[in-house]
Amino acid sequence: MLASVRPHSIDLALFFHVAGAMILMGGLVTAAGAGIVGWRDPDNGLRRLAALTLFAVALPGWIIMRVAAEWVYSKEHLDKLKDDPTWITIGFITSEGGGLILLVALILGGIGVRKARGGGGAGLLKASTVLAAVLIAVYVVTVWAMGGKPS
Amino acid sequence: MDFYAWMLALHLLAAFAIAAALVLYSVLVFNGRRTQSPDQRRLLFRIAPIGTPLIGGGSVLALILGVILAIDSDQFEIWNGWIIAAIVLWALMGAIGGRTGKYYTDVQKLAEEGGESAQQEVVARLRAPTGALLHLATVLVFLLILLDMIFKPGA
Repeated sequence: MLASVRPHSIDLALFFHVAGAMILMGGLVTAAGAGIVGWRDPDNGLRRLAALTLFAVALPGWIIMRVAAEWVYSKEHLDKLKDDPTWITIGFITSEGGGLILLVALILGGIGVRKARGGGGAGLLKASTVLAAVLIAVYVVTVWAMGGKPS
Repeated sequence: MDFYAWMLALHLLAAFAIAAALVLYSVLVFNGRRTQSPDQRRLLFRIAPIGTPLIGGGSVLALILGVILAIDSDQFEIWNGWIIAAIVLWALMGAIGGRTGKYYTDVQKLAEEGGESAQQEVVARLRAPTGALLHLATVLVFLLILLDMIFKPGA
């Protein structure tokens, strides 16, 4: 991973950035996986687990990833560049755009979990699952861009 | 993007696949300890197979692509301390992860047998510290690999 020499001063920030992104991706995979496996189930057990995983795992992962991204950005003095390289632009667009999609998925999931207590909410929980699956695709592209760093 | 950049991107994606599987297993281990009924446990066992290709494929690809990167790089050699440490830790993670997988596969087989005594044994094994500690050890070794890859001690 990240097999290039860079100043050691940014290592800690980069570790938190990557670890946060991994927690985020894991939370999304778990949520989307649970939602898809339980898609046709009559009860909301797996769909509820999917929504709760988004809240308890993916959201903290996104926060750690995003805060540490800013830390790396300033530590590596990337903020001094006249124009951001393509890979940073991809990172900003997908982390912030993805954060917005995650927020919508969390709201849909949260309302869905509340409605699930009364036997409803399946549609909202399914919509939350779909958004989690979309986010996996978005973040696969982001990880590729962070690793390959296309100019 | 040149060959090295592509290999690095795919190496990173493989590492993310391993991490995603470990997070998924963490959710299952955590929830497995709190399940109240056989139906709840069956739900969790239905999700577990998602992690198998992620951790299996991710581990093999991360190692192969990592070796390719070390050979192709002008800055590193495969016998550098941090790279050897990563390979040793990778093997350790595989060994502990394999034991963890066997522990929970046995629990799943027991759960599928049905019967009251089998279910009681399933609950006891899910709540016993053995599986959770094995999983925690796997996650800790993975974190050590991540630290090694980022900090590159000695490089």
